[in-house]
Amino acid sequence: QLDLWKPLQPEDIRAGEDLHIRVPAPLVQEVKDSLDQHMMSYRVLIPDVQKLVDQSMPRERSSYRQVSGGYVYTEYHPMEEIYQWMTQIQKNNSELVTQHILGKTFENRTMYYLQIGQPSNKPKKIIWMDCGIHAREWISPAFCQWFVKEILQNYKSDPKIHRFLQNLDLYVLPVLNIDGYIYSWEEDRLWRKNRSPYENGTCYGTDLNRNFNSSWGSVGVSFNCSSDVFCGSGPESEPETRAVAQFIKSKKSDILCYLTIHSYGQLILTPYGSTTEPPSNNEELMQVAKEAAAALTGKHGTSYRVGSTALILYSNSGSSRDWVHMIGIPLSYTFELRDTGAHGFILPANQIQPTCEETM
Amino acid sequence: LQQDRTVHCTAEVLHHLGSKSTAPDVQVAVQGELRSTEEADQEFYTRIRSLEKELVAENIPDSHGNVPPELEPIHLLAWAASGYVTWHNSTENTNFHLAQVKHVRQVKRPDEDLQFDYVLLLHEMVSQEVMPWEVTVLWHPRSGVRVPRDRCQPCHALG
Repeated sequence: QLDLWKPLQPEDIRAGEDLHIRVPAPLVQEVKDSLDQHMMSYRVLIPDVQKLVDQSMPRERSSYRQVSGGYVYTEYHPMEEIYQWMTQIQKNNSELVTQHILGKTFENRTMYYLQIGQPSNKPKKIIWMDCGIHAREWISPAFCQWFVKEILQNYKSDPKIHRFLQNLDLYVLPVLNIDGYIYSWEEDRLWRKNRSPYENGTCYGTDLNRNFNSSWGSVGVSFNCSSDVFCGSGPESEPETRAVAQFIKSKKSDILCYLTIHSYGQLILTPYGSTTEPPSNNEELMQVAKEAAAALTGKHGTSYRVGSTALILYSNSGSSRDWVHMIGIPLSYTFELRDTGAHGFILPANQIQPTCEETM
Repeated sequence: LQQDRTVHCTAEVLHHLGSKSTAPDVQVAVQGELRSTEEADQEFYTRIRSLEKELVAENIPDSHGNVPPELEPIHLLAWAASGYVTWHNSTENTNFHLAQVKHVRQVKRPDEDLQFDYVLLLHEMVSQEVMPWEVTVLWHPRSGVRVPRDRCQPCHALG
């Protein structure tokens, strides 16, 4: 029985007209041979129907059982699922993980971060990592989720990770710009900013990474709301920025290292963006970054460049990384993950795993 | 694209100082052999020519980075066209990449060429803007890619 695609009924087959059939994979050669034998010319229109179906249909999103047993880390997830994932992660790893409220977004959504580490009576030093400050950089929240999974999965078996979580607390904010992220799923895949309205609701969005109080408004920004680098009406004008800034200020003396994850570019960026003047601890910053880049390349051969934003990328002011360093946190880095432009922001999901593996 | 071999390409790009309207001079040297695409070209050409209805597609790749295999040549043509647009609109202060094909529509022609009218989304790194660009692309296996018409629509953030 052949699967007729054109025409649909055998009785509509006409000599001299096109016939389209779907051939099951094991029969392809046999069918080709038979057509050749009967001197009938043919052309393969679709070499692999299954592949096409898999690629073009949205996956079933209903089945989502236990984490990490059920959660698929090699796919991009909408915000609803990320919220559920955080709850599950805490539930399944309650001896190490607690979920906390950081603040609210403009559209009144709750921003949560995960605190990961062995509980202790003494205050512990902190490493902070935030993802998804720019909505369209989907690989960034995907990395935060992967990172949490890796750390928790290997806590018992990997002595380095074990010691790490004994001595330090990891604070992970999987999606900083929640409103923007949701907007990039529902309306505009290439949206960057948050969703606060300006100019009487005729224009939306501040670039949160131009909104921090680090030489705010001085360079690499626009004061026009329609720009993708609009820095807002003033430093920390946006609720998302304030939520992060307030928290970091309150824990300032305990934070050793600040990481903010972006894409794309394959870069490890050090302060500053607003000036080419190197920060006071530039040597240390560069050395650590170079070692990180080398370790990263060792995994899959992906090369990352290292340096200050102002020198290797472009000038910008108001970035979270610069602000964090300016208030006294010594190690502050921006990671720009894969790739270098071939896919840009729309990195295929099949690159989530290698990207995350090398960045670990 | 050359999955089984490495080909080295070098390019010398000369920007004309003071003249914004001239595209930079580009000299390209290719070391190694590019594999022949004659068969694939012919297959694509014949397939498109024999379509009853003009091809229309959007969002290539989709939000998750997927491109259906039969649209891969359309994607590649868009890449070539975006290279042309980038060449004519770059300065030493811009860095363009094709972010996505927003829309493409085939236009049937009485002559031998295939014509595709694209809306390409170009991402400019320094301004971080994503610019829609209307681009008309002509292609034929023997004559290659030509871009007779292109315009940004709208064009904010271009110097």
